[in-house]
Amino acid sequence: MRIALFAALILCWTVGPASAANGWWTFERNTNLNSTLSWKWTYPPSPVEYTRSWRGGSGTAMDECEIGRGWLPSGWYAQKGHWDHYEGSKVKGRVWWIQDKTCRDGSTRRTELFIHSEETSSNGQSCSSAYDDPFCWERESDYYSNGCIKLARPSPVASFPNDLGAAHTTFHDYGGKAAHGAYDTADANELYVYS
Amino acid sequence: MTARLTIPLFLFLAMTASACGSARTERGAQPPPPRPPAVYTVGRTVLGLSGHDRLTLAAPPVTPLAGWLSPVAVPSPDGRYVAYNSWRELREDDPALSWEDQGIAPGDPLARPSIRLHDLNTDSDSVFAAGAFSLAWRGDGAIAYFKGARRDYRAGVRFIGDVFVRESVHAPARRWTQKGDRYVVAGWAGPTLLVYRMRAGEALDLLAFDGPGKRRLLASDAGLVAISPDGTGVLVEHGPETGPPRLDLLAASNGTRLASLDVTTVDPSVGVVGYAGDWQGSFVAAPSAAGVAIFRVAEGRIELAGTLRAPSGVGVAEPRFVGPSRVTGWTSSESGGAFIDCDRVSGRCARTEPLPTARGAQGFPAWRRPVYNPSRPQEGEA
Repeated sequence: MRIALFAALILCWTVGPASAANGWWTFERNTNLNSTLSWKWTYPPSPVEYTRSWRGGSGTAMDECEIGRGWLPSGWYAQKGHWDHYEGSKVKGRVWWIQDKTCRDGSTRRTELFIHSEETSSNGQSCSSAYDDPFCWERESDYYSNGCIKLARPSPVASFPNDLGAAHTTFHDYGGKAAHGAYDTADANELYVYS
Repeated sequence: MTARLTIPLFLFLAMTASACGSARTERGAQPPPPRPPAVYTVGRTVLGLSGHDRLTLAAPPVTPLAGWLSPVAVPSPDGRYVAYNSWRELREDDPALSWEDQGIAPGDPLARPSIRLHDLNTDSDSVFAAGAFSLAWRGDGAIAYFKGARRDYRAGVRFIGDVFVRESVHAPARRWTQKGDRYVVAGWAGPTLLVYRMRAGEALDLLAFDGPGKRRLLASDAGLVAISPDGTGVLVEHGPETGPPRLDLLAASNGTRLASLDVTTVDPSVGVVGYAGDWQGSFVAAPSAAGVAIFRVAEGRIELAGTLRAPSGVGVAEPRFVGPSRVTGWTSSESGGAFIDCDRVSGRCARTEPLPTARGAQGFPAWRRPVYNPSRPQEGEA
């Protein structure tokens, strides 16, 4: 019995053939500053799920219909692309682009959504004397966003865990799409947001 | 007909009429349901317009790509028109499912936004601009709006376009933006047009246009709270995603910061201040974490004047002053939305749901949204 239990615990961390894995994101909303982003995967046809999780933030308000402020709406999302060196004006570096989503009011649509951190397009940090640099992870309030899911990473001015790096590695190692850029076809790797 | 039938029939009819009369009397004795003292839409119905108690639009006003960054419907300054946003779905998009699960591929057309114009003189209702949403009426009757480069909103494709201005409803449109992007027209501050630009992650910049091609960045990572009654001042909010939340009063003409308030230094219940509020005299009503926050903006200062707690701690969107003592707003509910009616003296708010039996239209719930013009100055204001 103890051996079986021990084996079951080991399963949570056992690495199977990575190429056979099927993975997806989940985001459990708790607060804007402290929610949980997870990467889950299976090795079909086995239904056994494996999980790795990290603290994530989303929005500055809990109304999922408030554009530019509310956290991500609940539901399933398709993933539209992934970059290692995204060069946006607000979002840079390692990012995952997810689909637009209608919120619970049945009308308002959240758009321009990503999973990302605060880093430069070259995966570095740009930290100045300003209170909040957009491409430098400085403090807990950096988990806030306009709606996106944000992951922490270390910087010269704060020692947060390298959750972005860990999530990125886990994504590619356990079932995440290998391709980078905008996806031409619908991606099997999805995101499920819930409370 | 024999007497044997006639008399019972007569008695039956008399009893029925009496019962109905009694019922009417009972219903007539009940007070009318409360209604917010403002102009608002319930589904396709507009209530409260001067001279038009009840108006039916051709489509329900909805603006999915702008939410309440911009009003869903705006009356013209001369009172002749109601311009409103509409949205026609081209295929079903179930919010619970991913696009992949529904067979929606990148580039598939999903919906078509349009701005419609209801003429109160002729009762006509027609498309003003297809592929467009978000509009603002200037005091002299000019109308600004955002129009997509393509008519349809497509899966995975940013709905980019330009901002156009017509000097009047029937005048030719002139493009004011030089580069296509995701814009949301917010309002006029005097001759200055205020427009949101939406970037990745739904980051919002507030731009000021002084004419075609004359664009300035008024505030980065900001939401427009309200425009001063004389149209010279713009109150914006910055949320905690870019630093300590604060309010800034900016000069519309050149962006000079005239006053600032660190929101963390006031009543903690205010929390974060939202966009789409109202300005009356020296007071601004803004959404806040606890409901509505009232600020006094005068003499180069921004001060918290009070808070209005919404029932059950719900958030209040688009708060509007009604006279000197009331503030109305709305909150989402399972039936599509409910109005919040607040008394500034008592600080108490009540929830009202006009036309509670109203049904949705064209696939949308019976949304209840205020109809208003955030642009300033308006007639009668300096």
